[in-house]
Amino acid sequence: MEEYVGELWHKLVTRVADKQHAEAAVSLDEMSKTAAIFFRALGGDAGLNLSAAPSTRHGARRGWRDRLATTGERIELCWRDGETLRLPEKIDIFTERSLNRDLYLWLVALLAANVDDSLPWIVRNQKATQVTLERFPGLVARYRRLINALLPLRPLPTSLPAAEAAQEAVIRQALIQPGSIHVLPPSKKQFQPVVLWTHPSPPMSANNKVSTSDGEPEREQSEDKNGVKSRKKHAAERTDMPDGKDGFLMMFRAESLFSWTEYINVNRPQDEEDDVESAALAAEDMDTMTIARDGETSVAKLRFDLDLPPAGEDDAPLGEGIPLPEWDYKKQIMQPDYCRLQELVSQQAEPCELPAQLRRTARRLRSQFQALAPTRTWLKRQQDGEEIDLDAWVLQEADLLSGKHSDSRGMYRAQVNQQRDLACLLLADLSLSTDAYASDHARVIDVIRDSLYLFSEALSATGDRFAMYGFSSLKRGNVRFNRLKSFDDRYDGLARGRIQAIKPGYYTRMGAAIRQASALLAAQPQRQRLLLLLTDGKPNDLDRYEGRYGIEDTRMALHEARQLGLRPFCVTIDREANEYLPHLFGAGGFAVIRKPEDLPKELPLLYAQMTR
Amino acid sequence: MENLPFYQSHGSEIELFERAWRNNLPLLIKGPTGCGKTRFVAHMAAKLCLPLHTVACHDDLTAVDLVGRHLIVDGQTVWSDGPLTRAVREGGICYLDEVVEARKDTTVVLHPLADDRRILPIDRTGEILAAPPSFMLVVSYNPGYQNFLKGMKPSTRQRFISLAFDFPSATQEVAILIGETGIDEMLAKRLVSIANAFRALKDHDLEEVASTRLLVYAAMLIKDGCEPTLACRAALVETLTDDPETAVALREVIDATFGL
Repeated sequence: MEEYVGELWHKLVTRVADKQHAEAAVSLDEMSKTAAIFFRALGGDAGLNLSAAPSTRHGARRGWRDRLATTGERIELCWRDGETLRLPEKIDIFTERSLNRDLYLWLVALLAANVDDSLPWIVRNQKATQVTLERFPGLVARYRRLINALLPLRPLPTSLPAAEAAQEAVIRQALIQPGSIHVLPPSKKQFQPVVLWTHPSPPMSANNKVSTSDGEPEREQSEDKNGVKSRKKHAAERTDMPDGKDGFLMMFRAESLFSWTEYINVNRPQDEEDDVESAALAAEDMDTMTIARDGETSVAKLRFDLDLPPAGEDDAPLGEGIPLPEWDYKKQIMQPDYCRLQELVSQQAEPCELPAQLRRTARRLRSQFQALAPTRTWLKRQQDGEEIDLDAWVLQEADLLSGKHSDSRGMYRAQVNQQRDLACLLLADLSLSTDAYASDHARVIDVIRDSLYLFSEALSATGDRFAMYGFSSLKRGNVRFNRLKSFDDRYDGLARGRIQAIKPGYYTRMGAAIRQASALLAAQPQRQRLLLLLTDGKPNDLDRYEGRYGIEDTRMALHEARQLGLRPFCVTIDREANEYLPHLFGAGGFAVIRKPEDLPKELPLLYAQMTR
Repeated sequence: MENLPFYQSHGSEIELFERAWRNNLPLLIKGPTGCGKTRFVAHMAAKLCLPLHTVACHDDLTAVDLVGRHLIVDGQTVWSDGPLTRAVREGGICYLDEVVEARKDTTVVLHPLADDRRILPIDRTGEILAAPPSFMLVVSYNPGYQNFLKGMKPSTRQRFISLAFDFPSATQEVAILIGETGIDEMLAKRLVSIANAFRALKDHDLEEVASTRLLVYAAMLIKDGCEPTLACRAALVETLTDDPETAVALREVIDATFGL
């Protein structure tokens, strides 16, 4: 009964206090693509991801209704750091939908403005407003509309105690006349958050304010130098903003320990474990799990490493391992010999036939692709062509002489020339994420396996030279590069056996794998060389190879591939790929397959389109 | 000279062209679509008072199409010159537009013409044509097209001196828009600012970016009385993308410049 009444009361007061307008709400989901392109068009950094901002406590005075209902104490504001552009998940401040939408675009424009981050918050925002309005005069009217709608929602200075009233007056002034205010007067109570501006103190930088100016915290450094203590602090700090999408850190209290097994998303810790020995040491234990508990903050951090299988069961290494460089975008340097890539070949693979369920499709593909095989033929009796078709002419002349009626047929010969001078290397992502189910009855890895089969069938019909490799990684010391079929191998039972033997494992250090694949492909004599990447997600690895670092390294590796005269193309089943693939492959450089189960059929067709 | 096509110079390209012509050097012009390559050649041909033979290369264009062929006329075979042969006979500029689009074997016929021999052997008739001093070979191509099966052979490329064109700077582009269409400066500036915003999306959201030519189109529409946002949508947004969501974002950029 008590509970029931409580619930009713909660409903009642939150409804009274709720200032939001659900029917006019605009969500980030519907805006994300527009917002991202708008951001880039206005000069924003193309490498940033778009993501929802977690709500933060603003600590400002709330109305009695809000206090009664304990609502309105948190707010979603926007900000930008080194990797992400954070926007509110939804905006429902105004009664009109168009105003809420305009606010999104306004925030994006504001974040795209290049303003000195070290300026005080209030000056910075005014400056950004000025810069934006000057560059895009069309936004002036929109800004005025937003101000006119916003000001009535803010507390009146007259209704506030003196110090807060002074602050509020200054903020109002700054909104109405950007550039007119230079300092924000102090007040004990926080001012009402300004939704038209960026976050005054984004959560990520809150703890690092002393050491760094603003924006991006120097995460790795502080961790390396200060060790455990600062790492914990960091973890505690991260709890403020559990990150829904990326989810690389898993926070939990001790009582929820049992739920970790259900957690599929593999943990990617923040710390740098750079030395190869530690990776080798890790290989000795199976599924190590380290739990660090911090009594003070009651936050613990879970890590578990995936270990390399014992040498006897693992795929046979070929050669010593190849040192490869890696790009560090923060320092803007190429780190030479930073990764070690090991080419492997499966030991368990036994020659096999094409799986029965694929045979029909394979047969059809083969006959389709045979049409692409190089031919060089003369077409006779053309209306137009390089040569005179003497036969046709003689025949026609003879017909004319003998008095027969002759329809004027073409009397030229034309050459149809279909030269195919190309080599293709297919690089398949075999990381652990491919163990997930793509549909009701197939895992991603199964889909990839079928795709590899059909792709090989199609390509062997065209006669194009091709190679297939799979890759995964476990930190920089163990980039695994599985040879399925090299350029010189025949596509035979053994190659099929190797495809059959692929299994998911480890992480996705894309850059190193792409570099190696590029090197192999660049050694081919063909004039057109296609590097086809088949993947299901972003680059990531157990060390710092995730987020922007991984993306930028991959981007650099692709840039190098293009320099070598190769053409990279990505086929992915990651639905969120539109967020980062354009940055890596360019607008026409990738294809997203919405239904993973279509991949085996789509892949050869994509290849045919690309090389026609 | 009153018929000289409008061309806004953005560097030393006019001087280089003249020097190349005087010294019998063939010229390769590369640059994105709509940045003024063809206009430049037309301008120079008019300036130097040379006839201009333009061939728009397409993927079925063969060497025969350039050089010429035998035709059957009244039961006789008659040799018919192709545009390249005609240009060599008459002198003047032969301009092969988008030369990489042509089939790979096609460009090889240019080799003897493009080096110091300056001859065009016609193997079908056995004739060897020597190019007069006024003859100049100019080819252009767009390196931005990711045309996978096409590219220019190094042996062809290395016979040309090369000029790289790019979109003009903002002030020059404003001058071009005013010079081409006579719109006022404020409007020209806004159009150029939109174009530069779109150009930031290259290789990311757009495969091809707004060319100066498209800006001129937009300016023409506006000059004709078309409402600016409408003109920009027609000339820029819908031309550049087929993706509805990208189009929405591009329209926002236009509204941010012209909007109410």
